[in-house]
Amino acid sequence: MGQCLELSAAVCRIGIYSCFRAFCCKGPPSPRTEYDVVCVGLTGSGKSSLLTQLCSESTENIIPTTGFSIKAVPFQNAILNVKELGGADNIRKYWSRYYQGSQGVVFVLDSASSEDDLETARNELHSALQHPQLCTLPFLILANHQDKPAARSLQEIKKYFELEPLARGQQWILQPCSVENMDAVREGFSQFISLLEEIDQEHIPGRI
Amino acid sequence: MNMISLIWNYLYSTLLRSWMKWILRKITGRCELQRICANTVQGAERTMKIEYSLKSSRNEALKTSVAGSVEDVENRVRDIMVIKKISIQKNPHFKLNLQICLLQVSGFKKLFADVEYLRKQPFDSSNKQHEDLLLKLWQLMMPNVNLESRITKQWGDIGFQGDDPKTDFRGMGMLGLHNLVFFGEHYTKIARQTLSHSNHPKIGYSYAIVGINLTEMAYSMMKSGLLKSHFYNLVPGVPQLQHFHQFYCYLMYEFDQFWFKEEPSSIMEFNHYREQFHEKVKRLLQDSKTSLTLNFKT
Repeated sequence: MGQCLELSAAVCRIGIYSCFRAFCCKGPPSPRTEYDVVCVGLTGSGKSSLLTQLCSESTENIIPTTGFSIKAVPFQNAILNVKELGGADNIRKYWSRYYQGSQGVVFVLDSASSEDDLETARNELHSALQHPQLCTLPFLILANHQDKPAARSLQEIKKYFELEPLARGQQWILQPCSVENMDAVREGFSQFISLLEEIDQEHIPGRI
Repeated sequence: MNMISLIWNYLYSTLLRSWMKWILRKITGRCELQRICANTVQGAERTMKIEYSLKSSRNEALKTSVAGSVEDVENRVRDIMVIKKISIQKNPHFKLNLQICLLQVSGFKKLFADVEYLRKQPFDSSNKQHEDLLLKLWQLMMPNVNLESRITKQWGDIGFQGDDPKTDFRGMGMLGLHNLVFFGEHYTKIARQTLSHSNHPKIGYSYAIVGINLTEMAYSMMKSGLLKSHFYNLVPGVPQLQHFHQFYCYLMYEFDQFWFKEEPSSIMEFNHYREQFHEKVKRLLQDSKTSLTLNFKT
């Protein structure tokens, strides 16, 4: 009789403990992978606004970026540590000093800018694509300001920037977007993160 | 320990405070507002205590007396004295002191509204006043050089980023331009010296862009209320836009001094030093007796 009671008490204890574990102790969520990414583009292209909006912060007070700033931008299955570099003429010469350690590049351009500015943006993009520290990395090219009437279309941008001939052999994504349409931005980043994940897995030995 | 202090704060603000106030009024014959005025000199400490006392009142009329307009202050002072049963004839000093406090409180709110209005005004090339103000900035900063045209690389000489300063005013709007012009107009010699410092070959910075950054710093400090003690100490009444501009001038001068003293390696480190400077100014502002001004005239 005593043994029966002890046994049932033990079974009860195990049952309660298991229920407790099932409902309360789910264990810590698996941490999201972090990637270091550099974000460049001419001044006024919208780098600060897009990154700030991705962090669900207000873009009302955004002033021109001088120097560089670092932002951890969260996505569903990754966190991008973005090093954003200012795009003014006098700052672009410092860009290459900040390429070290990057796993990917985000290039933002103003689709509605003047011909001169678009040409400058093209030269900068080509320099970045050919830079020894960046040429093997995936590029996310955001054709921003699509909401403006003067914005050039996806096809026009692709042609003007000569992406197909010049960036052959490199991985790049061209995404039209604007701060009014963050879904398009997230779509672009989602594809970009997939590229980063693929490269990451290639570097891990033993993975299929 | 945190839990205990939370409980204490709750008890104090709901029960203990009103008991203590009642006891003190019986002993001293004066209400809390009168005691505050008697125990402090005119300045931030007094105004902030009066503001807190009124806001924490359980009387609706007292609570909302901090929220009215500047024009309405005299009426509100009278109402408060009636509610608190303080004779206006017998307490003229108190009436004046309370009036000054309320003018400061309402005045600060009005000034912030004016600052926000300017900030929200984007620079508009089709607006003659905006264009004239921009050209005035050039003339103040580069008196011996003519602008070749409205769109020109010369704007870079006073620290704008491209051929047309219009896009650099994003975020701070006309507030940024007004700040820059005020500095150039009222502290001309210092402004030009700061511009020439900013052209340092190795650790120079963009004068106008840093100026706009400091406009943002001043604006955010005002928005967070951090600048209250500065204005309450500086202006015994309603603060004006010029007082905001003058705080901006303090920031421009002091940042320039700070930047060169810290010897950064290049302009790329701007944000790091900007934050350090920001923290330094915030610490200074936490002293309720401080107001930050430039102490010399040009």
